Amino acid sequence: MNDLVDKKIERYETLLREMWAASETYLGAFSVKLLVERVVWDLSAEYREIELLHCHEGGISCAEIAASMKENPNLPVDDIFMKFITRYVEILAKLIGSEKTDKVAKKLKEEFGNIPFYSKEE
Amino acid sequence: MEKLKTGIKNLDGILSGGIPVYSLNIVSGSPGSGKTIFVQNIIFNSARNGLKSLYLTTISESQFKMVRHLQEFEFFSDDFLGDRFIYGDLGAVLRKQGTEKVLEYLTEMIKRHQPNILVIDSFKAIRDIFPDEKTFKAFVFDLAAALSIWEVTVFLVGEYEEKELTLLSEFAIADGIFHLYGQEEKRFQKRYLRILKMRGTNFEQGEHLFQINPAGIEVYPRIKPKGEELQYKVKPGKKGFGITGLDEMLNGGFREGTITLISGGTGTGKTALALKFLLDGAEKCENGLFLSFEEPVSQLIDNARQLGWETDKYLADGRLDIKFISPIELDVDKHAFEILDMVSSKKIDRLVIDSISSFESSVSDIQKYKDYLWAIAQQIKRRHITAIFTALNEDLFSPASVTKNQISLLADNIIILRYVEKNSSIKKVLGILKARGTNHDRDIREYEITPGGINVLGKLDKANMFI
Repeated sequence: MNDLVDKKIERYETLLREMWAASETYLGAFSVKLLVERVVWDLSAEYREIELLHCHEGGISCAEIAASMKENPNLPVDDIFMKFITRYVEILAKLIGSEKTDKVAKKLKEEFGNIPFYSKEE
Repeated sequence: MEKLKTGIKNLDGILSGGIPVYSLNIVSGSPGSGKTIFVQNIIFNSARNGLKSLYLTTISESQFKMVRHLQEFEFFSDDFLGDRFIYGDLGAVLRKQGTEKVLEYLTEMIKRHQPNILVIDSFKAIRDIFPDEKTFKAFVFDLAAALSIWEVTVFLVGEYEEKELTLLSEFAIADGIFHLYGQEEKRFQKRYLRILKMRGTNFEQGEHLFQINPAGIEVYPRIKPKGEELQYKVKPGKKGFGITGLDEMLNGGFREGTITLISGGTGTGKTALALKFLLDGAEKCENGLFLSFEEPVSQLIDNARQLGWETDKYLADGRLDIKFISPIELDVDKHAFEILDMVSSKKIDRLVIDSISSFESSVSDIQKYKDYLWAIAQQIKRRHITAIFTALNEDLFSPASVTKNQISLLADNIIILRYVEKNSSIKKVLGILKARGTNHDRDIREYEITPGGINVLGKLDKANMFI
């Protein structure tokens, strides 16, 4: 069971890191960190656990979320990450435009086919 | 690129639709240049579009004082205070907690209020608190990055002098720079606005006049002649004066969409001829606009009546419009723009400017005067408006110069009015120097202005138009 949790979180962590690297090309590490912090803050009203996601200019860590999930198996981790990704991509599209965001999304879809990336600016 | 509409008259046009959202803009200028009103006008207009602004002062000016100044303007509405207009004091944070707490405080305020627009007034006050340029530069960079991530459009207001604009770090980081300044020009204390930089959008460069009035800020975009060759189609139609002899000399009239210069001494009837040109158009259901920089409307109407011309019905139904602009009040930066605005909105077919000499006397910079006239001429031709410009020739008996400053170059047609001596009396004569695309009469003819109108008489013996 714990192995499954670890694998799931590891996959999301990889995805977030890829997302970080892809958007860093356009925003720079400092702004990507700020963007992650902003999305964490946006989601924290709904899911307090998102605050366990830690980032610094070197990258992102989901270790504390994995630990929390082991203690609380009912944590809607897929929902949390999906919402995080959706919000991240939404803001990214506003900042760098849909065209560039689509490039980022395309790159991620190649690796994580089942993740829905919506990059259309509202 | 999504744009923030400023709602300031003509500014969004200059900015190709507005300011790119999430941009960091600096509004610079000396004290009293209108920076604060400029920004407040934008945020109150934005509030009407449902946007929220966070206005942070660094000089601890009380909200009460600010509101008291603002309520003089029509854009202000106290309905927005505390709701779409949040006022905060960044000065207190700076003094009590130091510069390192500013970003933290800003982020907290943004989280709490989630504004669309953030204003820091004055940003230069923050700069002065930082120990050195390096630390301040790092702060500005962090600030710009943080605020864009929060999807906030930023205005940093500061009392910067023009020479500082290329030297200081904040200007390198800024996406947009608006520089406001004023100067004395002849009779006017004028305010100008220049957009020095605006990433993510095209904008009209150069000096744009602006005014602060009870409505708020109004910008009058710089009118400039286009650099490219003017491509326009001259229509085959003709437009005349309704004066038999003169229309015959012009072989039916001027080509439609051309510009005519009527040059003559004082009292030769330039104004009367130009007015008759519009009345002839009005009879043919064309819209005419007479811009008088010399005679008031009532005097023009009265003069027309003296010549047996009725203007009332055309003025009433809108086919004729006469606007008087006092030369004392004439501000070419503003009026050149307004002329084009009027001809567009009123769907004008025939236009008279009486006289361009008044224009000239109001401009301190002769190159600017030429640019305005060229720009107006180009715009008029593009719109296929047939226009007459009158010009005063101060030499009553000699046509050696049509106008000063080679303005005759922009005219397609030139009519010269002058006096000649004949049998110890003074006669008026006219001649057509040029008429584009028209096989015009080259004779010099005597004409008279009578209570029955203007009559063109026969060819004058031995009058030499060109001596």
